Amino acid sequence: MKDIFNLSLLQNMIRTATPLILAALGGLLTMQSGILNIGMEGMILLGAFFAVVGSYFFASSAMGVGLAVISGILIGLLFGIFVIELKSDEFVIGVAINILGAGLTVFLLRTIFGVKGAFSSPDIIPLPDINIGFLAKFPVLDAIFNNHSIFVYISWILVILVYIFLFKTPMGYWLRASGESPAALETAGVSPKKMKYISSILCGILCGFAGAHLSLGYLTLFTENMSANKGFIALSVIIFGSSHPIKAFFAALLFGFFDALGIRLQSVGIPSQFTQMIPYIATIVVLFIVSQKTFQRRKSSEV
Amino acid sequence: MNKFKLDGEYILSITASILLALILGGIIMIFNGKNPIQGYGALITGAFGSKYALATTFTKTVPLILTGLATAIAFMTGIFNIGGEGQLYLGAFAATYIGFTFKGLPVSLGVILATICAAIAGAALSYIPAILKVKFKIDEVIVCVMLNSIAMLFTGYLVNYPFKATDGSMGGSNLIADQYKFSKLMDVSKLNTSIIYTAMIAIFIYYLIKKTSYGYDFKMIGENNLFAKYMGLATEKYMIVAMLISGALCGIAGAFEVYGLHYRFLPNLSKGYAFDGMLIALIVKNNPLGIIIMSIFFAALKTGSVVMELETGISSELVAVIQALIILFMAGETGFKEFFKRKNLSKKGA
Repeated sequence: MKDIFNLSLLQNMIRTATPLILAALGGLLTMQSGILNIGMEGMILLGAFFAVVGSYFFASSAMGVGLAVISGILIGLLFGIFVIELKSDEFVIGVAINILGAGLTVFLLRTIFGVKGAFSSPDIIPLPDINIGFLAKFPVLDAIFNNHSIFVYISWILVILVYIFLFKTPMGYWLRASGESPAALETAGVSPKKMKYISSILCGILCGFAGAHLSLGYLTLFTENMSANKGFIALSVIIFGSSHPIKAFFAALLFGFFDALGIRLQSVGIPSQFTQMIPYIATIVVLFIVSQKTFQRRKSSEV
Repeated sequence: MNKFKLDGEYILSITASILLALILGGIIMIFNGKNPIQGYGALITGAFGSKYALATTFTKTVPLILTGLATAIAFMTGIFNIGGEGQLYLGAFAATYIGFTFKGLPVSLGVILATICAAIAGAALSYIPAILKVKFKIDEVIVCVMLNSIAMLFTGYLVNYPFKATDGSMGGSNLIADQYKFSKLMDVSKLNTSIIYTAMIAIFIYYLIKKTSYGYDFKMIGENNLFAKYMGLATEKYMIVAMLISGALCGIAGAFEVYGLHYRFLPNLSKGYAFDGMLIALIVKNNPLGIIIMSIFFAALKTGSVVMELETGISSELVAVIQALIILFMAGETGFKEFFKRKNLSKKGA
């Protein structure tokens, strides 16, 4: 037991939760504006790839993140144009973006770097780890919270920023209104379309961050399909966290915990497949419980 | 607007989408320093240029047609089965289990039993999103996405632990009994009898949709659920039945992949076939004949792209990009039309 439940499990939890937090923050913004985005998987993958491209060619991890952000803006805009402007089915566009992400990254991997499968090079500059000096005084906190890659800390700050944006600023209020009652928002003189565009583009950027964290913060390489379902798990995180940034943050930590636990349990012979299943099963259970609640509310209001 | 009819205007827009995607693909080739005429030439000969090429193309249509029909039949009633991938995996495992456990059955009995078990496994998995949607109004898309991952992990567990191969097959299950393997229709190529069974299933589904009252009822429910309810149709029951048929078809697709090609369960058996099939169904608006034609087209792109890569060095993944573009253009079709209409109107107004 001691080998499984120790400080490094918590440390791993924080590490594995980070891309989920970043992507979920993006996805919950679109969710709040009334769009279900199942294309996050592709968005993360594109972010991961372009982060490597930027870092490799400019010998700078900041340029890597910059390129990931640009790719995020473009793919968010593309998603927005089709879903908002051309009123295409959001599921279809989401799936198309996932296919585009998987196809385009492998295609570019081949044409830019001339390799198949994976690209790693000492010339890819990783994101820096952050050492918070005063934490060193507290061994437990130090082991869990210190010396992570920079996006770990950025993701925490972003949780708070997204919370403030959504619930404490007029634009956040408009964004939520664009999902709940677009007609009312229109009457108030704010374009719901514009709000939906903003949410799509922010989602692209945040998924770009998630990708950059995977390819420059977590590992220093790009491999085919390295997003490994994280876009879909982020979707579970959003539903689990009822599209609220703080709740989603804790949901992501929970999922990260199970992920980290799964890797541990494998070493004592418990198949990781089962622990990996937990988030997905939990999501279905949560959906079921939520639907039961609304069902009962409907019933009591009828009486 | 009729959702299910392929009229002239529709065929025009689908052709335009494909052409536009191919042109963009050509431009990418030029940027890549390659000659698009050579590239596409190699792609076409790779897909259709020889008996072997044709056979390979047709082999690849099998899972696309089955999963395409599966999506279509569910979507006709207004329920979206995006869980085909998981249903395919579960069906493939169920069929493989029969194949390596009951080795002594007469061939036809064994294969039929395996196919039925695959269909049941796929249908059982599709029942979950169906019942949650109908009884509890839970979004079936999210449930399906979750179940895809669960099914893949579960089958992955099965072949890594309780049914780990003992006969030396690496990273999969044991092989099915020799006599169950579908016979090949042509030497060298992988074309096998699964294509004949698929054709039979396609004809059956076509008959079901076009010639029986079920097809009519399915359509009515999908187009106007409330009206169908007033007409006295048990809409919820129909939606569940459609979803069960859909899941069964995906399960059978999995069984055919095993019995026709790999002869054992592999954890990476499907290369997103159900997603491709789903997109095919969406592109042709659930028309069964359209699904067959578009499946051949998609399979040809996949087959030809391998030859294209060998001969010209253009990465075969370009085809995935082209496919994604076709889907984007088709999904944007109505929007594009309205956009241009609006533009024309404002021009006339000025």
